[in-house]
Amino acid sequence: MRFTKGARIAAGTALLALGLAACGSGASTGGGTASADLPVRMELGEPQKLFYPGDTSESEGAEVLAAVFAPLVDYDENKQVVNEAAESIETTDNKVWTIKLKPGYTWQDDGSAVTAQNYVDAWNYAANQDNAQSSNGFFNRIEGWADLNPGEGQTVSTKEMKGLKVVDDNTFQVTLTQPFSQFKTMLGYTAFYPLPSSAFGDDGKITETYAKQPIGQGLFKFDKPYNKGTDQTIDLTLYGKFPGKKPNFDKLQFKMYTSPETAFNDLAAGNVDVDDSLPPSAISRAKSEFGERYIDQADATIAYIGFPLQYNKTYANIKVREAISLAIDRKTIAETVFSGTRAPADDFINPLLDGYRQGACAVCTYDPARAKTEYTEANGPKTLELGYNADGPHKEWIEAVANNLRANLGVQVSVKPFEKFASILDELDQKTYGGMFRMGWAIDYPSAENYLTPVFSTVAIKTGSNYAGWSNKEFDDLLAKGDSAPTQAEGLKFYQQADDILIKELPYIPVYYYRINAAFSQNVKGVKINLLNQVEWSEVEKTV
Amino acid sequence: MGRYIIRRLIQAIPVLLGATLLIYAIVFALPGDPIAALAGDKRLDPNIVKVLREQYHLNDPFLVQYWHYLTGLFRGDFGATFAGVPVTDIMAGKFQVTINLAGTALVMEAVIGVGLGLYAALRHGKAQDSLILAATLVLISVPTLVTGFMLQLLLGVKLKQAGIDLFPVAGVAEGLRSYLLPGFVLAGASIAYLTRLTRTSLVETLRADYIRTAVAKGLPRRRVVGRHALRNALIPLITFLGADLGTLMGGAVITEAIFNLPGIGQQLFTSVYLREQPVVVGIVTVLVLIYILANLVVDLLYAVLDPRIRYE
Repeated sequence: MRFTKGARIAAGTALLALGLAACGSGASTGGGTASADLPVRMELGEPQKLFYPGDTSESEGAEVLAAVFAPLVDYDENKQVVNEAAESIETTDNKVWTIKLKPGYTWQDDGSAVTAQNYVDAWNYAANQDNAQSSNGFFNRIEGWADLNPGEGQTVSTKEMKGLKVVDDNTFQVTLTQPFSQFKTMLGYTAFYPLPSSAFGDDGKITETYAKQPIGQGLFKFDKPYNKGTDQTIDLTLYGKFPGKKPNFDKLQFKMYTSPETAFNDLAAGNVDVDDSLPPSAISRAKSEFGERYIDQADATIAYIGFPLQYNKTYANIKVREAISLAIDRKTIAETVFSGTRAPADDFINPLLDGYRQGACAVCTYDPARAKTEYTEANGPKTLELGYNADGPHKEWIEAVANNLRANLGVQVSVKPFEKFASILDELDQKTYGGMFRMGWAIDYPSAENYLTPVFSTVAIKTGSNYAGWSNKEFDDLLAKGDSAPTQAEGLKFYQQADDILIKELPYIPVYYYRINAAFSQNVKGVKINLLNQVEWSEVEKTV
Repeated sequence: MGRYIIRRLIQAIPVLLGATLLIYAIVFALPGDPIAALAGDKRLDPNIVKVLREQYHLNDPFLVQYWHYLTGLFRGDFGATFAGVPVTDIMAGKFQVTINLAGTALVMEAVIGVGLGLYAALRHGKAQDSLILAATLVLISVPTLVTGFMLQLLLGVKLKQAGIDLFPVAGVAEGLRSYLLPGFVLAGASIAYLTRLTRTSLVETLRADYIRTAVAKGLPRRRVVGRHALRNALIPLITFLGADLGTLMGGAVITEAIFNLPGIGQQLFTSVYLREQPVVVGIVTVLVLIYILANLVVDLLYAVLDPRIRYE
């Protein structure tokens, strides 16, 4: 048969394109019949950075590192701090802490023992401003942190914090500038992992080689370096010399997705085993399709609406803030707008943690009649503005709040979208935006204290997330009392008293708590998600 | 011909420079602090923010920043993301995926689009013709987002649940098979346009005098359509395909998101969001280059198709 010239050109282009399409396809895995060697696969969003433990402050990277490292402390089912890689963590005054390591933990590359020096090195590295690690601020309670952070343009004169001392191979001592009863609780966070000496290059910086294939002392080790941008999976294998409890499977694979809907479809098709970020659109389908394998549990994050109290007098009257809070129908927003993936908030401390008191915030209940009376009596402003960032799932609930305020307070409410969250923060910093704004807080470590100090203390106006600019001496004093209390339980009492002041003053109003909506496939069982929103891999079992 | 190609390539230089400057300026003008965006809802230690701003020259005025970027570019350094990953590394991996995807889509467009158009033109005015016209109208009017999720759910999830593993739901682990469904979704509207374009173009050509002459000469129908009509009708189609390659490369954001393909569209989206000038400019530069090359190839193909067109 003779081809015409045009057909030949078309065919040539087609072949060329097919060739392009075929190359780079890599190893094609089969239909997935060899279930014995099939890894346990978990959905993940792409980590923001390579794996520098001190610079991993987002949840995706932290999820991977949690599988590779064993933290000093963990949290048990009763929300209590328990030792993991630490044998003991002791203090008499909440200021000087002696940390003894449990023997048996080894580095995954050469099997050498983890030493106290490994912790001190890692912490000094993360706390040094020259290394620009995002978790730098976590070390600011340790003595000598200021020396490592003299400020922009200033040279750092030392490489060590004087508050960190190695006592012997298995023991080190941490001295804080002020007593802090919650210090032990912090130690489960990513920033406090140790680093092997092989992580550092000749220049004293963590090498890129290490960051691509982090070596830890935990359950799983990396199979190969992770190429950010190219790799769609992170493959891990059980580390045989791990001394703690091990699961009954050898291979763990993180599969990266950008769309939660797609990840859920892959879960439904049996191509993923664990998915802990189901989209609201999939909730009803997940409930019916997964039944027992659907998880709905509290998440430690809170969403607020904040007031720019520092420079706008419109909201200065507490009664106005109370009336606004009373006018918001939190229950309907959580159940309807978010299909039940959120829960109405009634305290500044999230129910996931010790210290939460149900119904503590009395003005967080929906009471339109009282709202109207209070607002009128306080002579509240006739127009309100409500700002939110349009890059997150906020438009719907902010509109719902605006409608509540319009209907119940009889005022004009305008809704102002910002391109992204950072633009709201910019305007608040520069004091150019005068309206109410949406705000959220996810905890760094599971302690009631973490809902207070970083968001509402006076120091947090400059260095934390106190965008209200609210400052209260009594509140700060109660925090200090809680920090120096001899036991966690006694500290909690003071924190709750501080919480009471927030409820009375309402610099922000809590609107809803997040929830974790997860599901898992028939290939696994025993999937549990801990206080840090991470899967407890040692509890997971493979069923096929 | 050689001189023509070289001249066209030299013309591309100012275009590329202008494009980088423009894109750089646009990303620069976006609101929000890129360093603050790195920390999400948290506030980074102010000290660390300062150190990072210094490190990435963010305190410099626009032109100085652009100059840093441009001089780097001449040394072959495309810069790095705020997470320290070199832009070239990112582009290498991501472009491969998008080229695979766009390639698959282009093949589908050419084969299905031209095929259907040809079929419709030869049955001009008949029921099959109307049916194809209606079908293409549906394809054009339904958004990619809908076709994407629908096909994924039907052909990916439901089939797999029924035990038939034809198309993977997401990802690129299955080689060519991974690209079939997303390729079709991406090509969707273009297939429809190309079908209609082929049909109209061919119907018109078939009415031309020289075709009547060819038929009168007693040439077989296949030769009349293939050799005489199709060849002339191909010119607008090639123009469309050439221009579409650029669109496919750049417009793959939605398809890549639905099928979880780690391609350039996704990367561009996140990078614009994070205000990572080096990544955005790098990707756009390469896209502009692809566009220029595709147009050049199209122009050269004209000469092949129509001997009356000559480039000195």
